[in-house]
Order: sequence, then C-alpha cells, then structure tokens
Amino acid sequence: MGALELRGVTKSFGSTEVIKGVDLSVKDGEFCVFVGPSGCGKSTLLRMIAGLEDATGGDILVDGKRMNDVAPAKRELAMVFQSYALYPHLTVRDNMGLALKQAGVAKSEIKVATDRAAAMLGLEPLMGRRPAELSGGQRQRVAIGRAIVRTPKLFLFDEPLSNLDAALRVATRIEIAKLHRELKATMVYVTHDQVEAMTLADRIVVLRAGRVEQVGSPMELYNDPANTFVAGFIGSPQMNFLDAASLGLPAGKVGIRPEHLTISRDQGEIPAEVSHVEKLGGETLVYARNPQHGLLTVRLFGEHDFEVSEKVHLTLQRERMFQFDPDGQRRR
Amino acid sequence: MASRKPVRWHIAVFLAPAVLVYTALMIIPLFGTLAQSLMNKDATGERVFVGLQNFARLFGDAIWSDAFWNALANNTWFFVIHMLVQNPIGIALAAILSTPKLRMAAFYRTAIFIPTILSFVIVGFVWKLILSPIWGIAPGMLDAVGLKFLFAPWLGREETALTTLALVSVWQFVGIPMMLIYAALLSIPDEVIEAAEMDGITGWSQFWKIKLPLILPSIGIISILTFVGNFNAFDLIYVAQGALAGPDFSTDILGTFLYRTFFGFQLQLGDPYMGSAIAGSMFGIILVGVCIYLFGIQTRLRRYQF
Repeated sequence: MGALELRGVTKSFGSTEVIKGVDLSVKDGEFCVFVGPSGCGKSTLLRMIAGLEDATGGDILVDGKRMNDVAPAKRELAMVFQSYALYPHLTVRDNMGLALKQAGVAKSEIKVATDRAAAMLGLEPLMGRRPAELSGGQRQRVAIGRAIVRTPKLFLFDEPLSNLDAALRVATRIEIAKLHRELKATMVYVTHDQVEAMTLADRIVVLRAGRVEQVGSPMELYNDPANTFVAGFIGSPQMNFLDAASLGLPAGKVGIRPEHLTISRDQGEIPAEVSHVEKLGGETLVYARNPQHGLLTVRLFGEHDFEVSEKVHLTLQRERMFQFDPDGQRRR
Repeated sequence: MASRKPVRWHIAVFLAPAVLVYTALMIIPLFGTLAQSLMNKDATGERVFVGLQNFARLFGDAIWSDAFWNALANNTWFFVIHMLVQNPIGIALAAILSTPKLRMAAFYRTAIFIPTILSFVIVGFVWKLILSPIWGIAPGMLDAVGLKFLFAPWLGREETALTTLALVSVWQFVGIPMMLIYAALLSIPDEVIEAAEMDGITGWSQFWKIKLPLILPSIGIISILTFVGNFNAFDLIYVAQGALAGPDFSTDILGTFLYRTFFGFQLQLGDPYMGSAIAGSMFGIILVGVCIYLFGIQTRLRRYQF
C-alpha cells in the first residue's frame, strides 16, 4: 500500500553534493522520522521523495515502482509543510478539497472526504473560514487535513511543528501519533527535534551531512548508538563523553548518559566541582566540572540540593557505558 | 494620571513641507480651476459669477456638447484598449518572467520596461515616423515578410487613428503592469506553489486557481492607475496628431479638448472659463471612477497574508 524504498539516492546542487548516497526502505504503515542537525539534507531528501527536487542519482521507489520521473501529483503522496502553505484565498473546506476537485472527483464525494477529515481533526466549526482567520495550530491541522483528504500512499511531513509554540507542539504531536494509528498509513516525518523523533517514530533515520548515520527504533538508538554522533544527538540532556584512556580503557571516548552517572559528596571515581544546578521539580540536573573531562551532566530524579562550587564525586555505571574508538565508531 | 499629553510639535513640523508643497501645487490650483469654472466675463470684460452656466453650455449647446461627447467617447475607447490589451499582456509577461526556467529574464524585464522611461515626445514622434506611409519603415518591414497588403496609413484614417495611438501608448506603458504583477507573483511563497504542485494543480490551472486570485488586488490597483492615467492623457495625442487631434477630431480625447479650449489653437481663441468647466468635468469623471473603485471594488478584494 505504501512502502518506500530509496536506493543510492544522491543530490548535488552544482558541485556541492548534499545527499551522498542514501539507501533506506520504509515498510508499509511505518512511521519513519528523518532527524539530524540543520543542513544535514533531511528536508532535501524529503523533497526528493515528494518530487519537488530531482534526484541526481539513485532510485526512489514507492510500492516497487520507480518514481524519479513521475510528477509530484502523480506519486500519490501528500505533504505537510512547515509554513502550512495553505491557499490564502480559499476556505478551509476548499483548501482541503482542491486536489480532489482538480482530479475531477464528484462534488458529493469531495464533501464526504472533507467532512471525514474535518471530523478526525476537529475542524468542523472552521470549515467556512479562510486561513487568515485561523490560529497557527488550526492552520497546521487544516494542512494535515488537506493531506488526509487525498488518501495518499505516503504522508510526508516537513518539520510541521516548528512554527507552533511549545504547548501546541506537544498537543499536535500527540494528534499526529493518534492519526497514524487511525490511518495506518506510511508516514515520513522530518524534524531536527530529537524529542519529536523519539516520541513519534517507529523507526528513526539519523542523518548527518547527507549520509545516514544510523537507522533504528528509538530505543535501539538510545540503547545501542553506532557512533558518537548518534549517541550525542539522541537523548536529552546530551550524553557525556569522557576520555577513555584516563579511565584505564583502550584509547578513544567513553559515552555515558547523564542518568547513568551517580553523584556523591564523599566518594567516587571522578572528582568534580559543581558549576551549575538546574532544578526542574521532577528531576535535577547537576553540571560538574572535572579538569580532565570537562563539564559533565548528571541527571538525578527528584529534588536535590547541591551548591555551586561544591566538591563532589561522580561514578559511572559501567554496564551503561558506551565505548567509542578514536574515529567515533562504537567499539563492540 | 494628571500629566497632560505634551503637544507633539514634531508631527506638524514633519508634515509641513509636504502639506505646503502639495497645497501650493495641487490643492490651490484645483480649487482655483473649479472656482473659475463658475465664472465668466460679462460685456465689459469683468469677471462675474455665472453659476453653472458654463456647464449648461458645455452639455447643452450642440457646438460644445458634440465635441465633449466625442472626446469622452474617444477617451473611453482609449481606456478600453488599455484594459483589454495592455493589462492582459502585462500580466502574461509577468507570468512568463516569473517562470524559473526562463533565461535572461532580467534582460527582457529591462527591455520591456525601457519605453516607459522614454519621453512621450520621443515615443510619439518615433511611431509617427515608423508608421508613415511615405518614409516610415513599417511598409518596408511588412513587405519583407510578404504582408505589405496589410499596411494602411493607420494614423491618417479616422477609423484606425485612435486605436493605433492607444496601441502605441500600450507599447510604451506595458512595463508598468508587468512590473507590478511580477512583484505580486514573486511575493507568493514558494511553499504555496509547491503545495499546489503536490495537489496536482500545475501549469495553466495553477495560474488561474492559485496565482490569479492572489494577484487580484494588484490587478485592481493597475486598473485604477490605468483609468486615471488614460483620462488625464494628452501628451501622446498632442505630439502625434497635434492639438486638433485629427483626422477630423477622431483622436480627440478630453485632454486635447481641454487644451484647445483653454489655451486656444490656431483660429480658436482660448477661453479659460469654458476650459475650466471641461477641467472640472474631467475631475468629476475621474473622481467618480476612483470612488467606484475604492468603495465598490477595493473593499471586496481581499489582501492575503501568507
């Protein structure tokens, strides 16, 4: 119904290669998230799948059919844009129905389809309004509704939540997850926010500089990162990296997540001085400095009182530690 | 709070230069002309108030009213040609220019806009030369492509002179609607166009269904600018056909009619009072047109925020 496959896909703008050969297969009904820092090529990759950019090399297949030379509209995909990209002159109903109208679908059928999408997204009272009369969150829901109406094989989301405020972002995130369960459709979602990636994805594709760094379920990436980049990108606050040699291990780096460091006032492996404390109620983040390892983050559950410039000792939970070779690759 | 608002002198100071210049050059002459249209000379040559007598003569006396209606009809045709030819071509050129595949877009844009910055005198004279049946290059060029039979002394014929001049004016000014629409098209966000591509709305239907509705406010502005410009036009006709707007007044528009009446031409003596009445009528026509646009059309055109 909606399996996506990329084979050696590359993209160059002039002499700059932005996508350096991506192989990926997304199963039917899967929620796949492309995540990476800005400039890593994730949006470009999505736009290539959509057909808004031509691939320089490689094959893009949907349901086994090569789509490289097929016009965007004929690929049976729907895209939700970061800026919503609604048609300002049309009402919510017409925005959602325009693609069907263009395809020559009967009016009564369009009405059924738009009503169904509106009901899913709670847009019924807004059907007669124009985009200018809607809030940001409502506009994004209309944009999603416009995609649903077309019953595409594949939904593409290009950072759909980044123009929303924090509270709305969480609410819309939950709504998208719910929608995915209801529609059972294949979705490809681009974001730079690893929390969105972790909470939504069945599978995450971590991209850096036009290459896939690792593909896996959120917990695979969290528990089994392939290299320092993925280890540092997934998880918040960021993983701590320590010099391996000084811990008596083979040369390279040692990664330990903030929640896997223990802190004590009297004893431990690594002496450090508290440089900052963040109390979030449910958890406390302690930033402690060691002259050799630099600033280390410790995540404690509940409320803890540590004073700035207090002397503390940190201990690594050895079994939770990741070892990386000098090139940043995981030592297994 | 008990503190009084300070007098904001700076507002008056900053407004003063513009208000003074505008008043001296526009407001006072306008009201002077309107006042003069209600005056005339009596037997002794004194200036006296005559009420609407000048207007009664302009519309009631066949010698005046025939010329007036002729000029108004010609002027309306002049405007119609601009609306039907200049603005659609301007929109089409803008649409072509805004396609990303077009090479040398900047060159075409400049080339099409250049006639706009030329003087009327040059444009009128150049076209008179081009179209001249005796030493013009138009007959020769048509001959070169085997279409000589199409040539006629367009500027010399009553049936074609006005249309020809209107088309010359279109040639000169087509750059203005092109530029305004081009700017409006560029302001449509790329993502909206991409969303349309995804929805299968491409090519012409994209233009009709997405772009055109979004540039309608600019088309409205262009229409009213064309209206005001055409009903104030004078120079091109004067340069090409003289103040008599020949042949046989077939190219006479309100501007040339006003000029002849006010300042006199050849055997006709100038009559500032009747001239003012014509100027007042032109002011009224344009005022009505602009009001129809402002209150009847512009309020219905939505400006879209993206």
